[in-house]
Amino acid sequence: MSSSVQTTSELSKVGDASRAASEVRLSVEQVSYAYSANQSQAPLFTLEANSFQARPGEIVAILGPNASGKSTLLKLIAGALEPLSGRVLLDGFVTHTLAPRARAQRIAMVQQDSPLLFPSRAWEFVLQGRHPYGRALRFESKDDVVIARNALAQVGAEHLGDRWMNEISGGERQRVILARALSQQPLLLLLDEPTLHLDIGAQVDLLATLRRLAAENRYTVVVVTHELNLAGEYADKVVLLQKGKSLRVGPPASVYQRDLLEQVFQTSLTIELGPHGRPRVSILPAT
Amino acid sequence: MRPLTLQRLFLQCSLLAVILFVVVVIALKLGAVPVSLYGLGRDLISVLLHQTKALSSDYGMIVIEIRLPRILLAIVVGASLSVAGTSFQALLRNPLADPYVLGVSGGAALGAVLALIVEPHLAMPTWFAALFTPFCAFLGAAATIAAVYFLGRRQGQLDSGTLLLAGIISASFLYAVIMFLMTTLSGRDFRGMAFWLMGDLSSSLQGSLRWVLGIGFFAAAGAIYTTASDLNLLLAGEKEAMHLGVDVRRVRLVVYIAASLLTGLAVSVSGSIGYVGLLVPHVMRLLFGSDHRILLPTAAFGGAIAVVLADTLARTVVAPSELPVGAMTALAGAPLFIYLLRRGSA
Amino acid sequence: MIRVPQSIHRIVSLAPNLTETIYALGLQDRLVGDTDYCDFPPEAQHKTKVGGAVNPSLEAIAALHPDLVLVTKNLNRLETVQALADLGIPSYATDPHTVDAIIASIARLADLLGAPETGATLSTDLERQLADIHERLASVPPRRVLFIVWTEPLISIGKDTFIADALRHAGAISVIDSSRDWPQVNLEEVVRLQPEFLIFVESHFGAAPHSAEALADLPGWRLLNAVRNRRYATISDAINRPAPRLVSAVEDLARQLHPEAFTEKPQSKDQANPTVSNTLPRGSFFAETFNAPICQEQACAR
Repeated sequence: MSSSVQTTSELSKVGDASRAASEVRLSVEQVSYAYSANQSQAPLFTLEANSFQARPGEIVAILGPNASGKSTLLKLIAGALEPLSGRVLLDGFVTHTLAPRARAQRIAMVQQDSPLLFPSRAWEFVLQGRHPYGRALRFESKDDVVIARNALAQVGAEHLGDRWMNEISGGERQRVILARALSQQPLLLLLDEPTLHLDIGAQVDLLATLRRLAAENRYTVVVVTHELNLAGEYADKVVLLQKGKSLRVGPPASVYQRDLLEQVFQTSLTIELGPHGRPRVSILPAT
Repeated sequence: MRPLTLQRLFLQCSLLAVILFVVVVIALKLGAVPVSLYGLGRDLISVLLHQTKALSSDYGMIVIEIRLPRILLAIVVGASLSVAGTSFQALLRNPLADPYVLGVSGGAALGAVLALIVEPHLAMPTWFAALFTPFCAFLGAAATIAAVYFLGRRQGQLDSGTLLLAGIISASFLYAVIMFLMTTLSGRDFRGMAFWLMGDLSSSLQGSLRWVLGIGFFAAAGAIYTTASDLNLLLAGEKEAMHLGVDVRRVRLVVYIAASLLTGLAVSVSGSIGYVGLLVPHVMRLLFGSDHRILLPTAAFGGAIAVVLADTLARTVVAPSELPVGAMTALAGAPLFIYLLRRGSA
Repeated sequence: MIRVPQSIHRIVSLAPNLTETIYALGLQDRLVGDTDYCDFPPEAQHKTKVGGAVNPSLEAIAALHPDLVLVTKNLNRLETVQALADLGIPSYATDPHTVDAIIASIARLADLLGAPETGATLSTDLERQLADIHERLASVPPRRVLFIVWTEPLISIGKDTFIADALRHAGAISVIDSSRDWPQVNLEEVVRLQPEFLIFVESHFGAAPHSAEALADLPGWRLLNAVRNRRYATISDAINRPAPRLVSAVEDLARQLHPEAFTEKPQSKDQANPTVSNTLPRGSFFAETFNAPICQEQACAR
C-alpha cells in the first residue's frame, strides 16, 4: 500500500513537473552580453550568463542598483539586442530572431514617459498598439477600436480617451502608455523602471494594476526596478543583479536576505516578513 | 474617439483639391497677357479634345503652352518640397527639418550648377542632355543626405539635434562652394545662374523631363506614403517604434532616398525655393493633425497651393518683369514662421 | 581730387573692354597689367594678371607701380578705386551708355595718354563705319528683336544700356522696354510681342542653357515666329564690351538682320593704323566718371 501511495505521489509530482514545464512561457537561458564603445576596445560593461523562467500570470522583477545591467537584460528579453551567448525563448521562439511585426504581436514594451513631438489624443496613442496587426496603408478597423477602448478600460483610463497626451498628469500618462501595450495583445509585458516619475500612490496603483492584469489576461510581466519594497510586495519572482551578475533568482522571501541585500545595495537595512509572507525592507540611517 | 477612415481622408483631400483648382483657375487668368475665363474654358476643352488649332483668342496658345505648364510645374515642385519636408520632420523628429535646413537643397543646387558648367564640355545624346541636370541634382541631394546622416550620428545612433547641426553646416558649406563656382563664370553667366538659384519656375521643360518629373514625384511620394503609419510611430521615438513592430532601418532608408529624390527633382528644375518644406507641414498639422496618412497628402496639396500662389505673385506684381519665386516664399514664409513660433506650435 | 601724372607710362587695366581699347590705340606697350578676364586680343593674355575685375589684388596692382589704373563703372567697384587712391594710385573711370558716347571716349582716353592723333584716327574710322551702316539702313525699317542674355530664367537687356543703343545702330530695336539693366522677362510677354529676330551671343555656353536649335521643340518658345522660322542672329561676345570691336559687332548684326541692305560689297575699311595689328577691329571708347574723388574727365589735372 505504501508503495502505491508513493507511486501516486511520485506520479503526481511528475504530473506537476510536466504541467509546469509546459506552462513555461519565458525561458531565459544563459544569456550574456558585452557592450563596448567600439570594436577594438575592451567591453565597458558585461552581462554574465543569466537564466530564469517565467510562467503566464507571473510577475518577475529584475532588481539591482544602477548600472547593474537591468535594462540590458530587459532588452535581451525583448529581442532588441542579440545576446553574445545563450538565448531567450518565448513560447519556443527565440525572441531576437522574430521579425519586428511578429515580435511586436507577442512582446509589448512599456517605456518610461517620453515627450511627444507632436501632441496626440490618448485614444490615438493607444491605437498605435494595433500597428503590428495592420497591413501598410490600412486604416484601423472597428475591431481595433474596440480593442483599444478595452485596453483603456482595463487600466481604468477610459475617461481619458479624448484628452491630449500632454495635458494629463504623469500617472495618467503612464496608464495610457500601459494601455497601448495592452492593445498589442501581447504574451509578454516588459516595463523598464515604470515607477520612476510617479508619486507613491501612483506607483502602488500601477503595480496593483499589473498584478490584476497578469492574473486576468495571463500575461507574463517582467519589471525592471530598483524599488525594493514594490518588488518585494508584488513580484512572484525576483532576479537580483549586481554589476552584470545575477546573484540570486527566486521568490522574494528567498532572495531578500539581509547580508545579500546589504552587499548589493551598500546600505544597512532590516527585513521583516509581512502578513502574506512578503518581505518588507527598511533602510537604516547611516551611523 | 474617431479614428481615421478612408472616407475622412478622401473628404479632406477633396476639399484641398477644390481649393487648388480655384487657385489654378485664378493663376491661369492672371499674367502678363490678358485672358478671359470663358475663352480660357473653351480653349482648355478644345485642347482636351485635341482640337488645338481652333483656339478662340491669340492668347489661348500662350496660356496653354506657357502658363499652364508653368502652373503644373509649380504644383509638382510645391508638392515635392512639402512631402519631403514632412518626411524629414517625421524621420528626424524635429519640426525644424526641411530640405533647405538639412542641406539637401544645397546639394541639389550644387549638382545642378556643376551640371550646367560641365555640360557644354561633354558630348551626350540629346535625350540624356535634358535629364543631365536633374540627374546631377539628384546625385547632389543624395550625397548630401548621406553625408549629413553620417555626420549626424552620435555614439552610433542618429541624434536629431546633431543631425540638424550637420545639415545647417553642410548647407552653408555647399552654398559657399556654389558661390565660388559662380565667381568662375563670366558676368553674363553669373547673372543668369544667380537668378536661377533664387527660384525660377519659368523653365520650359522638354517632354522627357516632364515624364521623369511626373513619374518621379508619384513614385517617391507613393513610396513615402506606404510608410505613413510607420512614421506616426516613429514620432514617439525609434526604440518605441521598433517595439511596436516598425522596421526602422527599412523605413529610414526608403524615406531618405525618396525624400532626396523629391528634393533633387524639385531643385533641379526650379532652383532654391525655401520655406515651403518647412512651413506647409506645420500648417497642415495644425489643420488636420499629425497622422501621416492624412498629413502627407494634405501637405502635398498645401505645398502645391502655396507655390502656385507665390509664382502667380512673382509673375504679376511687376509684370511684364518677374520677381524670383524664392523671394516670394521667403517674404511670406518668414513672418508666418515667426507667428507659428510665438503661437507655440513650431 | 587726384592729380594725374603728366606722362603716363605704366597703365593697369581693370576691365577687358579697356584693355582692348589700349591695344586698339596701339598703346599696349604701356600696359603693364590687366585682369584674368582680359582675353582680347590674344596678346593681352600674356600681360601680368592682377586678378578679377570685381576683386583684383591691390598688392599685385601696387607692385606694378602704375601711373594710372583704368576702371569702368559697370564692372569695377568704388571700393577698389578708393583703396587705390589711398595708395596714391589714381584711377580713370568710364561709363558709356551709347555707342556715340563710346566713340568720343577713345579720343579722350588717347588725349589723356598723350596720343591724341591716334585717338582721332580711330574715332574717325569708327564714325565712318557707323555712318556707312546708317546709310545702308536709312530706308530700311528697324527689326524688332529680343536680345537674349539668359534663357532660364529669361533675361534680356534694358533700354538704357549701351547694348540697346548698339542694337539701334544695327537697325534693330529691343522689344523689351525696361529701365532695369538686366530685366527678367516673362515668356508670355515675349510671345505677345512676337519679335522678328532672336539675338544670341556666342560664348562657351551657347545661348546657355539651351542651344538655339533646342528651342524649336520647347513649349512656349515654339510659339515664337522667330523660333518657327529660325530667325536667329548670333553675334560675338564683343557686343557685351564697350570696346573697339563693338562697332564691328554692330555691323555683323546689321548684316544678319538686313542682308538685303548689304548686297553690294562694301569697301573693306582696312585703313592701316600703324600701331594696330590687322587682327584688331577698330572701335572707339567713351568715358564717364564715377562720382568720386578721382579724376573728373574735364578736370583732370595734367
